[in-house]
Amino acid sequence: MPEIGLTRRYRFTASHRLHSPLLTDDQNREMYGKCNNPHGHGHDYEVELTVRGEVHPVTGRVVDIATLDNLAETRILAPFRYRDLNKAMDTIPTTENLGAEVNRRLRAVWAETFADGLPRLEKVRIRETARNICDVTE
Amino acid sequence: MTISKKVEFSASHICRSHELSDAENERVYGAAANPLGHGHNYEIEVAIEGEPDPVTGMILDLKRLKEVLEDRVLSVYDHRLLNREVEPFDRIVPTVENIAIDIWNRLDPHIEGRAKLQSVRVYETGDLFAEYRG
Repeated sequence: MPEIGLTRRYRFTASHRLHSPLLTDDQNREMYGKCNNPHGHGHDYEVELTVRGEVHPVTGRVVDIATLDNLAETRILAPFRYRDLNKAMDTIPTTENLGAEVNRRLRAVWAETFADGLPRLEKVRIRETARNICDVTE
Repeated sequence: MTISKKVEFSASHICRSHELSDAENERVYGAAANPLGHGHNYEIEVAIEGEPDPVTGMILDLKRLKEVLEDRVLSVYDHRLLNREVEPFDRIVPTVENIAIDIWNRLDPHIEGRAKLQSVRVYETGDLFAEYRG
């Protein structure tokens, strides 16, 4: 049975400030530019989750969408929505680190959420802006 | 090299399986299980793979692709109730996954010559799409 990919998009709004404790203030300003503003700033983030697997012969679905929505809501959207990502994450909240964090949070509970371990989580895509996009595939 | 073409159609569907109870249908499909049906403005993105013809500069004659999409898919799907009017959805549930597979099956035999069908992506809404690669 061939596999199919299904992608679902979610949104949340959050603030962040890009500032590394390992860099000086000048280096931080140079590295992150406007994103280093001490007062922070925000984005309307989009999270796209792509799952891959076989289509169930009865339901016609590759994933139980209600379960996926619930997983996204409880693990990603509720903890991040209208939050300061610098406090909600342990790493500098760049698009890359946010992608890795979302990926880690989902994979930590993926197998127990989908009892048989299927479908696979193929890709996490974070759109910080229309021009700043990060894909995580592992 | 890949070239992609996007087309749209509107259709209604009912996401209910005869093999599931009412309660199971409600749980699996949510509001989409409403027996009276509902509709979407679907978008199809078809990706064609191949090398451009040295004379025409095209992987596939795009007029021909437009005709195939019109004849094999849009004329069948557009402004229809999929469960009643489009095979195989009298037998299987017209989820976006099954729609993507069916559109692939309708197109693939008609993509000829140096071109090969690479993927069929079907957007049911801006926030949900399925992609099938055969």
